[in-house]
Amino acid sequence: MKNHAKIKEVVFWALFFVIFGLIPLLEKSDYHLILANHILIWGMFAMAFNMLFGVTGMLSFGQALYYGLGAYSVGLMVKNFGDIWFLPAIGLGLLSATLVSILIGLLVIRVSGVYFTVLTLAFGQLVWQITFKWYHFTGGDDGIQSIIPPGILANHTVYYFFTLLLVAVSIWVLRRLVNSPMGLVLRCIRQNPDRVRFLGRRVRRNQLRIYVISSFFAALAGGLMAGVDNSIHPDMFYWTTSGEVILMAVIGGIGQFFGPFIGAALIIIIQDVVGARTEYWSLIIGLIMMVMVLILPKGLVGEVQLLRGRFRPDAKNRGENGTTFSA
Amino acid sequence: MLKHKNLTLILLAFLVFVVWPFSVSAQEKIIKIGAMYPMTGRPGLYGLDSVDAAEMAIEEINSKGGVAGYKFEFTNTDSKAKPDYSVMVAKRYITQDKVHFLFGVVSSAVGLAVTEVSKQYKKIFIGTDHASTQLTTDKLQPYYFRVSNNTFQSMAAGALYLKELKQTKPWETIAYIGPDYAYGHDQWDELKYNLDRFGVKYKAVGEYWPKIFAPDYTAFITSIGNDKPDILVAGFWGGDTVAFIKQALPYGLLTKTLYFHPDAGGNYELMSAMGSDLPKGLVLSARHHNNWPDTELNREYVKKFFQKTGRYPTYAAEGAYAGIYAIAEAVKKVGNPDDTEALVKAFEGMKIKLPEDPDGFTSYIDPKSHQIVQDQAIGVTVPNDKFPPAKLMLGEWKVYKAEELLPPKEYIDKLQKK
Repeated sequence: MKNHAKIKEVVFWALFFVIFGLIPLLEKSDYHLILANHILIWGMFAMAFNMLFGVTGMLSFGQALYYGLGAYSVGLMVKNFGDIWFLPAIGLGLLSATLVSILIGLLVIRVSGVYFTVLTLAFGQLVWQITFKWYHFTGGDDGIQSIIPPGILANHTVYYFFTLLLVAVSIWVLRRLVNSPMGLVLRCIRQNPDRVRFLGRRVRRNQLRIYVISSFFAALAGGLMAGVDNSIHPDMFYWTTSGEVILMAVIGGIGQFFGPFIGAALIIIIQDVVGARTEYWSLIIGLIMMVMVLILPKGLVGEVQLLRGRFRPDAKNRGENGTTFSA
Repeated sequence: MLKHKNLTLILLAFLVFVVWPFSVSAQEKIIKIGAMYPMTGRPGLYGLDSVDAAEMAIEEINSKGGVAGYKFEFTNTDSKAKPDYSVMVAKRYITQDKVHFLFGVVSSAVGLAVTEVSKQYKKIFIGTDHASTQLTTDKLQPYYFRVSNNTFQSMAAGALYLKELKQTKPWETIAYIGPDYAYGHDQWDELKYNLDRFGVKYKAVGEYWPKIFAPDYTAFITSIGNDKPDILVAGFWGGDTVAFIKQALPYGLLTKTLYFHPDAGGNYELMSAMGSDLPKGLVLSARHHNNWPDTELNREYVKKFFQKTGRYPTYAAEGAYAGIYAIAEAVKKVGNPDDTEALVKAFEGMKIKLPEDPDGFTSYIDPKSHQIVQDQAIGVTVPNDKFPPAKLMLGEWKVYKAEELLPPKEYIDKLQKK
């Protein structure tokens, strides 16, 4: 069992580095680099979000707040102090996201279920509104442009590998976290918080921890994205961004660690391929969502896992419980 | 025998449908345009009209054999009016599809994001509809050109109109209502700047900032009624203009105060949506009018658009139409669409006769700002049912000379310092 998990892990990392490492060598066009960069960053964002939703059972509709915070820290610093501040600004974004998520987290974790979701949405929209209206400082709906990473990072290929490295490290950290005793406590909180309390573990403290950790990686995603698109805008704070990341996680499978990453890749590729051919892209995405919910409710990766489980000798004991989280 | 006949037919069909298009495209020289208009949501009509007008211009040019031996090929991707998605599309157009020109867009936020891509990849971006003055002032880059008026030009014309109005209908107080985002705020700042520049004395008695796409303006209408401005300047666009005017009518607001909307208020969209409900005497303008100037070129343009689509064009359409003709003009001058630097030179100072040019004036692209310079007409709503379903159109025109409407150097410096 342990060996099987290890093989799975090795296969993922091998595929991850082969696919994403080879893209700059195989593709001469910048566009595939940008597309791959988007997949990496959104994938990490979706995985970080899933630490809250899939692992701990906290459906946040406000993770865009931290994604935007990371992006605007970079944008505002580069705009006001020059591109040399690009990297420190990513650090500043992470620090801001940590502090803000502690403050907001202390309030939102006091409620659960739909109330938690609505509160996170409210905070996200509040910050979006401030960014949108304070246009002398934030650029309002025009956003901020000319965010070019400094020095060698200005080269698209170098920046791609920089992103790849940070995303790989982030995924590795999140993976370690899921497999740690804390990860176990988080999964227990999702299933039965009262029992976790009864066993002497602090539910709220762990919820706050994972809220802060998830927000930290969301801010990292936002900061990195500012360097890919070279421009940012208040939509990054908007609820649709939070919605998009939920969609990615659900399509990939919230019960699987790597599911949200696959979901992100799928959504981005569909948007790109379908969007290039028809303006009815939203219809296609809607149809896919319908199919996913009705036919593949465990998400893409979840269903594949379930299918594989059925063909194993010990099939009767595996995969029937849709509420489990497979690390 | 029958089997052989079928086989021959299949082979012929294969040749016609599969091989022939390749052989044709292999011989043809192409100017590739990559457009990014929104085709869905609130700005969808602007995108739809722009794409139809661009295709109309391309059909006209291609049917005459193209330009300098090249034919146009036009692709549009729904930008969803989202800057991040549009950046991806622009990069795909440049690096994958190898387009010669980026083209569009409706939203200024998208325009600002795409001009950044254009600058990085040194690919010419023709702006056809977005109005943010920044793109041709402090955010100007060498590969960006705009073929429709910006908000500064509209507001300069508006300030001149208000100056003249003082002589016929003395007014003192003014108020502004516009969407609470950069486009709305820019218009108000630019109008005040131009009123000061032209020495117009006024007292601002109110500013009202509803959200863009707000469904209910009642609270604002009541406040405006209490403040009693002589002039109410509006900075809405699209459906917001229609919604505000419809809601203001029962309160009698538009009979007590003069409704003045010089940037996008005179769009045909308003006239067609309101029909006979549109009040007389509103003072409006837009970047193109279906009934001004009364020239052969404008009449022909509007007629052809109607024949092609079954509807009359909004102002967005003329921007796209002008953009294609500007590209054709530049390629004609340079001889090919690949020499970007030579094309930039060809655009700078280019003179081009467009449907919205009155007799005796030809639009030109200012070589310093890359902004098209055009006369602007402001009109008043009067009965006119020649463009159904509209029952009123603009009339009693006042025309302002293009050169008076450009931002002065000190204003550009002020923006750059920001």
